[in-house]
Amino acid sequence: MSRAIRPRSRAPGMTRAPRFRAVGPSRERESAHAIDLSTRIGPLELANPVLVASGTFGYGDEYAHVVDVSALGGVITKTVTLMPRAGNPAGRIAETAAGMLNSIGLENVGLEKCRSEKLPKLRSLGATIVASVGGETPDDLVRLLEALGDEPGVAGFEINFSCPNVAEGGARYWADPSRLEHTLAHLRPLTRGALIAKLPPDVTSIADLAIACERGGADALTAVNTFVGLALDLDALKSKLGRATGGLSGPAIKPLALARCHEAVRAVGIPVIGSGGIESGRDAMEFLAIGAAAVQVGTASFIRPGASSTVLDEIREFLASRGIARLDNWRGCLRDLGQGRA
Amino acid sequence: MSRAEQGNGGAKAGAGVNGNAKSVAPLRVSTRTVPRTRWIQAPAIVRRHEDEGAAHRWLELEAPGSFATPLPGQFIQILLASPSAVLLPRPMSVASARRRGGRCVMGFLYAPVGPGTRLLAACEPGSSVEVLGPLGRGFPLDQPGIPVLIACWRGVAPLIFAARSLAHPSARRRGRRAEFLFGARDRAHLVGLEKARREIAAVQGRLQLATDDGSRGIRGNVIDLLERLAPRLAGTPVLHACGPHAMLKAVAGWALSRGVRAHLAMESVMACGTGVCRGCPLPRSRAKSEAFDSASTPSLWGNREYAMCCTEGPVFEARDLDWERVE
Ligand SMILES: Cc1cc2nc3c(=O)[nH]c(=O)nc-3n(C[C@H](O)[C@H](O)[C@H](O)COP(=O)(O)OP(=O)(O)OC[C@H]3O[C@@H](n4cnc5c(N)ncnc54)[C@H](O)[C@@H]3O)c2cc1C
Ligand SMILES: Cc1cc2nc3c(=O)[nH]c(=O)nc-3n(C[C@H](O)[C@H](O)[C@H](O)COP(=O)(O)O)c2cc1C
Ligand code: FES
Repeated sequence: MSRAIRPRSRAPGMTRAPRFRAVGPSRERESAHAIDLSTRIGPLELANPVLVASGTFGYGDEYAHVVDVSALGGVITKTVTLMPRAGNPAGRIAETAAGMLNSIGLENVGLEKCRSEKLPKLRSLGATIVASVGGETPDDLVRLLEALGDEPGVAGFEINFSCPNVAEGGARYWADPSRLEHTLAHLRPLTRGALIAKLPPDVTSIADLAIACERGGADALTAVNTFVGLALDLDALKSKLGRATGGLSGPAIKPLALARCHEAVRAVGIPVIGSGGIESGRDAMEFLAIGAAAVQVGTASFIRPGASSTVLDEIREFLASRGIARLDNWRGCLRDLGQGRA
Repeated sequence: MSRAEQGNGGAKAGAGVNGNAKSVAPLRVSTRTVPRTRWIQAPAIVRRHEDEGAAHRWLELEAPGSFATPLPGQFIQILLASPSAVLLPRPMSVASARRRGGRCVMGFLYAPVGPGTRLLAACEPGSSVEVLGPLGRGFPLDQPGIPVLIACWRGVAPLIFAARSLAHPSARRRGRRAEFLFGARDRAHLVGLEKARREIAAVQGRLQLATDDGSRGIRGNVIDLLERLAPRLAGTPVLHACGPHAMLKAVAGWALSRGVRAHLAMESVMACGTGVCRGCPLPRSRAKSEAFDSASTPSLWGNREYAMCCTEGPVFEARDLDWERVE
């Protein structure tokens, strides 16, 4: 039996720093942990801005022997639906230039097993839990939140309005501002936890969707889910995936995601969580610079399961090396980029 | 194939009767007693890297002592040093594993077929990669019966590892010699044949060859070898096979129609290799699907309809998969 890589243990409260203390590069190492990374997402106060993206970290326990999930800002579960889903047939993954296409089809254990087995396990690991939920209709989502809304230890919900890989209730269906607004208005009273709407990138105006979500009562947005993509096998003359198209993720989409995220940030007053191609602390700092409140690490965890911890460490080092004691002093520093130009 | 199932994606759980299960032994939830180890990701150094003939390469990697020793049939994910032109790690079956000075030295036989494996082929001894593993469940070598190891092409490598394990005096059923069947299109494709001869002889195994064109061994394939061998065995065979899916399908079909146990090392395109991304589904047989018990099956392994190749596999029992739908 091997010894697992032990997560570094951190004393609770270590991230609370004396405010506005300038730190010089010479004290970088010891001061990195004293930087204030606190992050507010609606009613949620997170210790830091690094979350793991839905569908790339299972139900939070699969990577727990290599990542101290309690040290992350939060863990977003695989999207859960009312009933278990078996997912799409084989041909679910294809690598593309600096990215990957997936067509998983929301395979998940379903509400019951999530509640009875997965959430308690994740709770016991001390993680801040955001449950991702998905539905084919507004009514599905209402039922999911009725069931999970008061679940102990669930700090918030990310509503997956943006899956590109399902026939019913996917990104296309939800890319309708009034549908989003009305659905969120129904969900709002069902939980006191954070209500986060996850948006698709392949839309005419992500700003319109973002505004509708804010009006409907969302506490925050996630921008963005995967981009619809297609890759062909020219020898077999078919798609490299079982279903023709899939969702593109990974470094290839970072500039695209950053632009969509920026557009959403500028459109609304609620926090926006960035997702798309984040592999390093510097990637995260770009999203935070344009005004994202927090970031999600997705595909990077498949390549290095410890990627989320690394991103967190690198954010601290980045700030420490510039003598910035609070993430708030960085967040949004480039929010107004391009403002006033056509 | 004994069990035809309805087409893609729609096999309904719990529906219908289990038609012609005929001679197949009754299904229990799990007969597998493969020890489970915890994977880690660790840096590794290329120690040897050379041509093995038949367009294959032999690679030896040295991982730190914290890396658990893989078992035959298990695989690891090899991640090239970054920056790299490929994003995801590449799964490779372990072809040998030993401890050296407390460190874990693993061998791999692979073919450079695409961008990832071609970049791997260019890694000089002394260079670094990262390894994640050991992953998956290997061959259940403690199953009773006369072990018959069936390899096509590069599938030979993990099975030589299995033959050595079977013969090892510390193995649970102690020092069993294996029947070894090895096939390929022609003699040039019998990759690592000389090594196979040596290693199988060293563990008192018996090697028989088949080529489609008869340039080595019998003219025919491994199923023909199996047909000849089976009646001469002193007991019930238990099959372990590794090779292209078409060959594994044929072995599975042969075994299912005779009620013989067969364990097949499957492949799938993979992303994570650890059950997280859900990218590597293999269709379950109707019987397995009907007997599926979500309480006793780790969700990491799959669901009622699909098993994940990387966690429940890559080695599967013939009766557990729907071979009509395996690509
Ligand atoms: C559990 C497991 C064990 C494996 N063991 C070995 C081994 O011991 N030796 C060896 O040479 N190869 C092995 N493979 C296959 C190997 O992983 C692929 O050949 C490799 O990932 C191809 O990557 P590439 O970038 O070079 O080519 P790509 O361009 O990614 O693929 C080239 C061709 O290989 C196919 N392919 C890609 N990935 C896989 C895959 N994971 N499984 C099957 N076909 C694939 C593609 O469809 C394409 O036709 C194994 C695969 C798995 C899943
Ligand atoms: C294999 C895979 C499965 C995913 N599953 C989900 C999911 O269930 N729900 C969801 O909201 N997003 C899902 N996503 C999208 C990710 O959460 C993330 O938003 C997207 O991949 C972009 O980020 P990345 O480039 O960092 O991966 C999935 C992505 C991948 C690659
Ligand atoms: S490769 Fe990710 S689940 Fe198997």
